[in-house]
Amino acid sequence: MAIVECRAIRKVYGALEVMRDFDLKVDDHEFVVFLGPSGCGKSTMLRMIAGLEEISGGELLIGGARMNDRDPGDRGIAMVFQNYALYPHMSVRENITFGLERSGVGKAAIDDRLVPVVEALGLGVYLARKPAELSGGQQQRVAIARAMIKTPEVFLFDEPLSNLDAKLRGSLRVEIARLHRDLKTTSIYVTHDQLEAMTLADRIVLMKDGRIEQMGTPEEIYQAPATVFAAGFIGTPNMNFLQLQLTEEWLGDNLVKFAAPGGIRQGEVTVGIRPGSFRVSEEAQAFRGTVERNEFHGETRLISLKNERHEINISVPAHIRPAIGEVLGVEVASSDIHVFDPGTGLRLN
Amino acid sequence: MRRGRSLPYVFLGPTLGILIVLALVPTIYAINISLQNRTLSAPNADYVWFANYLALFSDARFLNALWVSFKWEIISVTATMVTGLAIGIAMFEAASPRMRNILCVLFIIPVLLPRVCAAFVWKFAFHPLYGALTWPVRELTGITPDILSTPLGALLAVAFVDVWQWGLFFAVIILKLLESLPPQPLEAARIDRATRFEIHRFVTLPMLKAPLISLLLVKAIESLRSFDLVYVMTRGGPGISTETLDMYAYSQGFIEAGKISYASSMAVIMMVLTIVTFTFTWKRLNR
Repeated sequence: MAIVECRAIRKVYGALEVMRDFDLKVDDHEFVVFLGPSGCGKSTMLRMIAGLEEISGGELLIGGARMNDRDPGDRGIAMVFQNYALYPHMSVRENITFGLERSGVGKAAIDDRLVPVVEALGLGVYLARKPAELSGGQQQRVAIARAMIKTPEVFLFDEPLSNLDAKLRGSLRVEIARLHRDLKTTSIYVTHDQLEAMTLADRIVLMKDGRIEQMGTPEEIYQAPATVFAAGFIGTPNMNFLQLQLTEEWLGDNLVKFAAPGGIRQGEVTVGIRPGSFRVSEEAQAFRGTVERNEFHGETRLISLKNERHEINISVPAHIRPAIGEVLGVEVASSDIHVFDPGTGLRLN
Repeated sequence: MRRGRSLPYVFLGPTLGILIVLALVPTIYAINISLQNRTLSAPNADYVWFANYLALFSDARFLNALWVSFKWEIISVTATMVTGLAIGIAMFEAASPRMRNILCVLFIIPVLLPRVCAAFVWKFAFHPLYGALTWPVRELTGITPDILSTPLGALLAVAFVDVWQWGLFFAVIILKLLESLPPQPLEAARIDRATRFEIHRFVTLPMLKAPLISLLLVKAIESLRSFDLVYVMTRGGPGISTETLDMYAYSQGFIEAGKISYASSMAVIMMVLTIVTFTFTWKRLNR
């Protein structure tokens, strides 16, 4: 177990700089998730930590020691890949023990270490099989076992659940969370799936274009997104964004009027409101619009409301059943309103 | 489903037909001749049944040819595979993509050369007085090496030309096979503390087992047909030290004695040996 420190890490491909000044400290036992859209550099960062990708500048420290020029095998890490990366010609057992054999661990010691790992992941009956004879979920379990048995200082996960179907993804996610609770190994997990990030992470590192957009616990990022990008990326259904005027007593324009959150500079602002923050009521005047679309999501219903200038999505309990074309009024508590600077995209309240 | 049944025969039919005419008929004819005492000088012949075969096993020159063929097969196939693997892996590890392309083109050229041309080029290079290879040796040491006139040297020199043609070509194929592998298992192996050598020993080469076996068998079959190479470079000499089975059968059948039945019996034995060996090897390696 160890602390991972990235100090001003930089990555260039030829003349193209894809990452600059990446600073991050992952604490002992911490589960950090790199979250971001594809091409944001999260996998590149993980591969630099693993040693599979050269670090162009800056310093990487694991457990206090500089790792920049060390081989992947000497960094005390173990990695789980998106496409499992199992050795296709080896049995499950050989796949799991390959790393220990290469590090010169004795036969008896390997057998001792194999038993608990195989048990933890329920792989007992598959040990003699080849990877091709296993399902995707089982293959990824073997890959996790292969990483676990090395008792690494740091676990690296590169989108481990992206190739699995939705149901399996859910159950394996729970399993990864349980393993981390038991082993407490420092972990870095890359994903583009916000649900995985929210449920697994102690801390989310939200990335965009090779930079850290925001860092914080899932609650912090959800409740107080630092930028318009963070606000739009986290949360389903997506946040509504409106361009409005902020004055002393209200926030809005000639069609919309919300109560103004205090302590912010006045003028043009970008306002973000989550669909679930709206309350429907007869007399509400904050936003009135006609129902354009009505999607049934099970427990809730996603309704789009449109007036002459704005269109918003609101999430309401499923028993509210407005007809298409009906006019609805909604209101929002001022604490649920996120205000951003339209120029810089930074949070104002 | 009756409609689909005939389709395989439609596709296989013409190929099988050609094979029967081109391969089966001559084979049966050869077996038939091998049971007679036909020579090129006499028009008639009688059936002597297995007399030719019995005579072969007390013919020291035939036993030598069998042994030479066996040595040739082992040396040329092993050397080609080892050279191909070594150069292929070296290119994969060390060469930039641009360098790889240049080397691949260069390495394919020898195999494009007809066998006879390659044999003549190298025979001249090995020439004791005018050879490009022997000249620096003579300048440096003062002795005149005549590689093709020593039994071992002749065999190795012919094998060298074979490897020059096929080993380099195999290196290109092996490089392309390595490039076609998914990179992740190799990365996983690096994280598993495997050295570069161990990655190839335990991961890439086992992953390429099936295509490598195919290459091995292709080369083994190809080595059986190196009559032209041996014929041009040494004519089986010095003495009979590089006389393979096909060389000996050729000289018995056409050059020295015209004993066509005797030569045919050798061809039949060679065919049986080849079929048995290859079936055995194929089953063994594919297990």
